[in-house]
Amino acid sequence: MTALESTSPSLAATSPAFTFSASTFQKLHPTEFFRKFASQGVRPDGRLLNAFRPTTVHYGVITTANGSAMVRIGGTTVVCGVKAEVAEPKLHTPDHGYFVPNVDLSPICSGAFRPGPPSAQAQVVSESIDRVLKESKVLDLKDLCIEEGKAVWALWVDVVCVSYDGNIYDAALTAVMAALANVRIRKPTYDEGVVKVSGAEDMNDDNSFKLKLARTPLSATFALFDTSLTVLADPNDSEESICDGSISVTLDEHGQLCAVSKVGAGSSSQSLLKQCIDRTRERATELRAIMSQQQQ
Amino acid sequence: MDRKRVAGPELSVAPLIEYPVDHKRWTPQQEKRHDSKRQPEDMRPIYLKTGLIGQASGSAYIELEKTKLACGVYGPKPVKRIGQTFSGRGLLTCEIKFATFSCAKRRNQMRDPQEKELSQILTQALSPAIRLDLLPKSAIEVYITVLESDGLGSCFSAAITAASVALAHAGIEMLDLVAGCSASYIQTGPARSISSGAESIPPQIFMDADLEEEKYEQGSIVLAYMPSLNEVTHVLQSGKAEGSIISQSVEHCVEACNKIYAVMHHALLESVKENQTQL
Repeated sequence: MTALESTSPSLAATSPAFTFSASTFQKLHPTEFFRKFASQGVRPDGRLLNAFRPTTVHYGVITTANGSAMVRIGGTTVVCGVKAEVAEPKLHTPDHGYFVPNVDLSPICSGAFRPGPPSAQAQVVSESIDRVLKESKVLDLKDLCIEEGKAVWALWVDVVCVSYDGNIYDAALTAVMAALANVRIRKPTYDEGVVKVSGAEDMNDDNSFKLKLARTPLSATFALFDTSLTVLADPNDSEESICDGSISVTLDEHGQLCAVSKVGAGSSSQSLLKQCIDRTRERATELRAIMSQQQQ
Repeated sequence: MDRKRVAGPELSVAPLIEYPVDHKRWTPQQEKRHDSKRQPEDMRPIYLKTGLIGQASGSAYIELEKTKLACGVYGPKPVKRIGQTFSGRGLLTCEIKFATFSCAKRRNQMRDPQEKELSQILTQALSPAIRLDLLPKSAIEVYITVLESDGLGSCFSAAITAASVALAHAGIEMLDLVAGCSASYIQTGPARSISSGAESIPPQIFMDADLEEEKYEQGSIVLAYMPSLNEVTHVLQSGKAEGSIISQSVEHCVEACNKIYAVMHHALLESVKENQTQL
């Protein structure tokens, strides 16, 4: 009895009764694990709180598409392909073409996605890209007219996510804008209900045309941790899962706002929003430099 | 009508292509391959890399010039489906998806019967190689996204190759890697009328035919083969061909699979080396 009483306090003093490794701690208490890093101004992957992951853009990766691009933001990889096909215009807009963006989050890119119809997340991303491009009038749909009331181009813009690690909206929007800049469509001729294009080997300005893009909106997304106390630029998948909300800012090349969206995380102050917009300005400039560098 | 996607026109078609007068299309009568640098027995160069999908247990990306596809493997994980009875063997499911922009004509986002058939064949080609008996009550999921397809046969054989590399990358126990290879039987030389069938020359076997060559094929074969065990896991022969041509093409495919095996081996060794430098 006395022996036990004398040994147990000394044991407790040398080694804590309950310890585990950092990776176990991360699995058991992901939020607390992250908070320890955030309080020091860094993130578990070594980035500062307002740092974006390395980004690459490649043009023309798919030859079966009229235009294509592959965008990587850290571990997120998306491929966007644009296909132009001929369709009948709507009755009330006989000279307007179609612009149809869709984002596919298939089960290949993450274990969280299931096969079948698009998930809620995929629908939200598709819908917000559609809205940004239509409301900031990036494309004049009249440019896609072949013969008024008879035939127009339908631009099917499909984004396939190959590898998912957070921030799909930025990656998808960048890929869509890069792919649209890469589009080349052969000049059509309309003849009694038939649309023909030339099958010449090389495409040049005589037999094909590029899309006229009024502006190039690009975005930056920030996750809100601990109800807007900590703002994380370009969240990855594990950060997205512990954050309460996010702010996405979309700007065109003149620095004008095309869209701002804030979801979740209670309320956020005006100064926080301004801070995010300022950081987006810097990020969009960097992204544009990466894009124009690759285009040449 | 699909209400879960941004809606487009209900019907859209690719425009008719009008070739210029001086345009020369490739035909097998030229007795050369579409890619004139290749001999009939030559395959396209293969680029194969593992580990591009961070979230997957194992992944691989394969490129044969224009043909590009990505494969992700998830599992082994517990079977969660309700109503699933106990199974002493692991459950392997494969799914091939063609990206809408992957072919000359736009493909639908919904799963079509062809994708379903290819998925089924892929399951059959891979399951003999995997030690499913060691994984009771668990499921392995193999997902393939075809980003660009230049010939269905070659695309499909690339899927088999990539999937088995991704399975090995996921650390799933296998008896051997499965290499896939395709060949097409194409009548070359001057065109002959069908009536002079008695003196018809046998068709040429083109290994790893591309889309343009596939348009002229009489038949084709896709072979899935385990190189170090010297065993075939799946053969898909379609079209018309004499027995001698088929056995000859199987031999050619086996030979090609041994070459592909070296590439697969190299890709896996590279991934092990990368892991070691990271540690």
